[in-house]
Amino acid sequence: MATEHHATHESTDSVKRKGNHEGPRNHFLAFGLSLLLTLLAFIAIIYQHVLETWFLLSFIVLLAILQAAIQAVFWMHLKDRGHLQQRIFILSGVLVAFTVVIMAVYWVWW
Amino acid sequence: MSAVDHSHAHGGQLPAEPENATLEGRNKILGFWLFLGGETVLFGTLFATFLALRGQVLDGPTEAHLYKLVTVALATFILLTSSMTSVLAIQAMHRHDTKGIQLWLGITVALGFAFLGLEVYEFFEYIHEGHVFTGSAYSSAFYTLVGFHGAHVLFGVIWISMIMAQISKKGLTVVTAPKVYVAALYWHFVDLVWVFIFTVVYLMGKVG
Repeated sequence: MATEHHATHESTDSVKRKGNHEGPRNHFLAFGLSLLLTLLAFIAIIYQHVLETWFLLSFIVLLAILQAAIQAVFWMHLKDRGHLQQRIFILSGVLVAFTVVIMAVYWVWW
Repeated sequence: MSAVDHSHAHGGQLPAEPENATLEGRNKILGFWLFLGGETVLFGTLFATFLALRGQVLDGPTEAHLYKLVTVALATFILLTSSMTSVLAIQAMHRHDTKGIQLWLGITVALGFAFLGLEVYEFFEYIHEGHVFTGSAYSSAFYTLVGFHGAHVLFGVIWISMIMAQISKKGLTVVTAPKVYVAALYWHFVDLVWVFIFTVVYLMGKVG
């Protein structure tokens, strides 16, 4: 059913879509960056003997946070217009999760 | 409300963003973000537990001894690629390309099963080496965190398969489109959690 619509309304749809959807380019960019950050983290672990432990640990955690942010912003469309409530919901969750993790690490390992 | 919504789909014109065309669809997506916020808290507490109990292996095998970086790298690559293919399913949805949606969702599900197969194989290896759920505080925390993520992947592949069946039966409408969108969001979230699992559990386990 949808393919019929696709054929008849393609031109009007593409006009309407302009400005809202940037096409796959940014999504592939996010994929490439994610692969790169993952690779960097694995390389850092393989060459861990040349790095200080505190630097290595903060480095790979930072890479993970960066990769998660990239995927949330591009793949999950958090950068798009009209996503304020979505951002508030997910960031509230992130805030609680972050606090709990910091608390556990501080109590046990400091 | 749904009477009006359906007329959109059957009247022959599907809007450019069918997932945002109805209030019900928009609310479904917004509500799903609240759910994802709750999921973040849930995984956050599991990560906190795991971090607190790290290294408490009793007489079981140590982390550095257990983990195989090649398996972890392969699992990471598979899940990351499946997150990308679910993006392509949404791109196909915005072109109203039902076949494209099915193709990319199908690849996503296949990669999800590949990831699960790898994880089952990995767990069998661990059990063989004496790393079992009730072995130590660390092993319980490990299986709870990683197994909980695996259960999310399993739920995801079943859910997405059912949405594919519904799309093939009902086509792409303003009712089915939000479901595809929300399932893609879920899949991205599951991949996002894995980014922290491979970093905090596996890579950190190899340090020192």
